[in-house]
Amino acid sequence: MIEFDKLRVVVMYEFMKHIRRRRLYIIMAIALTAEALALILVPTLMTGGYPDNVTLMAVILTFGASLAALGSVFFAGDAIAGEYESKTGFILFTNPIRRITLWTGKYLAGLLAVALLIIFTYVVMAIALAIIYHEVPIQIFGSLGLCLLYAAAVLSLTFLFSAISKGSMGATVMTLLFIWVLSSIVESILAFTGNPYWFMISAGGDSVALPYGSLRELMQGLGFGGGGGGPFGGDIGSFGTLTIPMAIWGMLIYVFGGFVGSIWISRRRQLA
Amino acid sequence: MNAPIVIENLTKYYGNFLALDKLNLIVPEKENIGFLGPNGAGKSTTLKILCGLIRPSSGQAFIDGINVVEKPEQALAKIGAIIETPEFYTYLTPVETLSYLGRLRGMKGQDLKKRIDEVISLVKLERWAKVKIEKFSRGMKQRLGLAQTLLHDPPILILDEPALGLDPRGVVEFREIIATMGSQKTVFFASHQLVEVAQICKKVAIINNGKLLAYDTIAELEKKYQTLEQAYLQLTGGSGD
Repeated sequence: MIEFDKLRVVVMYEFMKHIRRRRLYIIMAIALTAEALALILVPTLMTGGYPDNVTLMAVILTFGASLAALGSVFFAGDAIAGEYESKTGFILFTNPIRRITLWTGKYLAGLLAVALLIIFTYVVMAIALAIIYHEVPIQIFGSLGLCLLYAAAVLSLTFLFSAISKGSMGATVMTLLFIWVLSSIVESILAFTGNPYWFMISAGGDSVALPYGSLRELMQGLGFGGGGGGPFGGDIGSFGTLTIPMAIWGMLIYVFGGFVGSIWISRRRQLA
Repeated sequence: MNAPIVIENLTKYYGNFLALDKLNLIVPEKENIGFLGPNGAGKSTTLKILCGLIRPSSGQAFIDGINVVEKPEQALAKIGAIIETPEFYTYLTPVETLSYLGRLRGMKGQDLKKRIDEVISLVKLERWAKVKIEKFSRGMKQRLGLAQTLLHDPPILILDEPALGLDPRGVVEFREIIATMGSQKTVFFASHQLVEVAQICKKVAIINNGKLLAYDTIAELEKKYQTLEQAYLQLTGGSGD
């Protein structure tokens, strides 16, 4: 039996795991709640109801999709660590399958599950925009592509932490702290001081909205900065720029670096 | 090197702790060999190395002439193993679990389905065949563990305390299964239950502190030490449990 057939089997059964676990539906509910809140709060809090510009509303709704991408942390936290922690590895690892095949299968199944979640969120977003504005901006496809890449990067990073951690919970918490706290803080400091920050994974998350326009343009659309108005004044103007190609490179580093790192570490790991 | 299991100068350190000390052992074809020793003697470490779960610090282990460290996938294709209390994915049923593991071993279609039915029937899990494993007791998981060991009909069985957690009826059934299979397969079987080992195996290896102390037939050991229990206690310094 060739490894590709084994890979297909692993992907199939791992995907079944994601479909059967409650966490997929919890993350889906959270993402949908975020979208619903945006749809309710924006017209309530903004004078004049929904913004005139459909692109601006698409940006606001994109945060829900980014949240779905972040959900990949919960799909992958136990991918490697779980086999050691729950001792299921004692059964799985005694089968004639290369570890790289096993981890790749788990990765692809996780990516498939999170892609399903993201696509679902974007479909909901597109329907909402079509109902409100009678149009859906074409840039939504670019945003979807970046969101999927961001999910792949987060998944790889989670795999890396899962390979290092003794337990699944540790891997999940470490990844969330890395992305939401450490990376976000460093990215903010780098951006505020006019330095490049495209290599931070949190910048990958920010890039999901870039197909709709630059950060400065978006802030101007909301009435902040850019031309000196709004509470942030000219500060936004000093922000380092993030372009789509830069963000793609940054995320690719995490996709490949995280995955290769996780394979390298887990190959050394023993099930004693 | 043609024997199903060959262990040569196997040494394993966990940090500074020496778990296996140049262990040498050959398990001949179609024999049931009991592997005895007190807790921490090195039994599980030996079996884990044979199953490719851990790497030795030095020495070599061969399954059917294949070096386990160099070609683990080829070596593992020849064995069925239960190591410690088996744990399974709780979201799958026994049928799905066996289907997953069978497919990883290249089994498929009606042959796989038929074989799954056979092994589930053999370990008497028919009533639970389509119930998610999250509801299973330890004994039921042990039965499923035995089912997955036999699924692909391997020539070599490596079993680490396989009757642990089984109720008395389960222990008897397990003994019957192994006794039947044992006539056609090579069985390397670690246990603390001397009575169980004596009923299944004709020959035993006794180890302590990672060293092989005796490797002989039970009949010979009984000649020398009166009983298998006495042999075990005297050889392991009375520390047997």
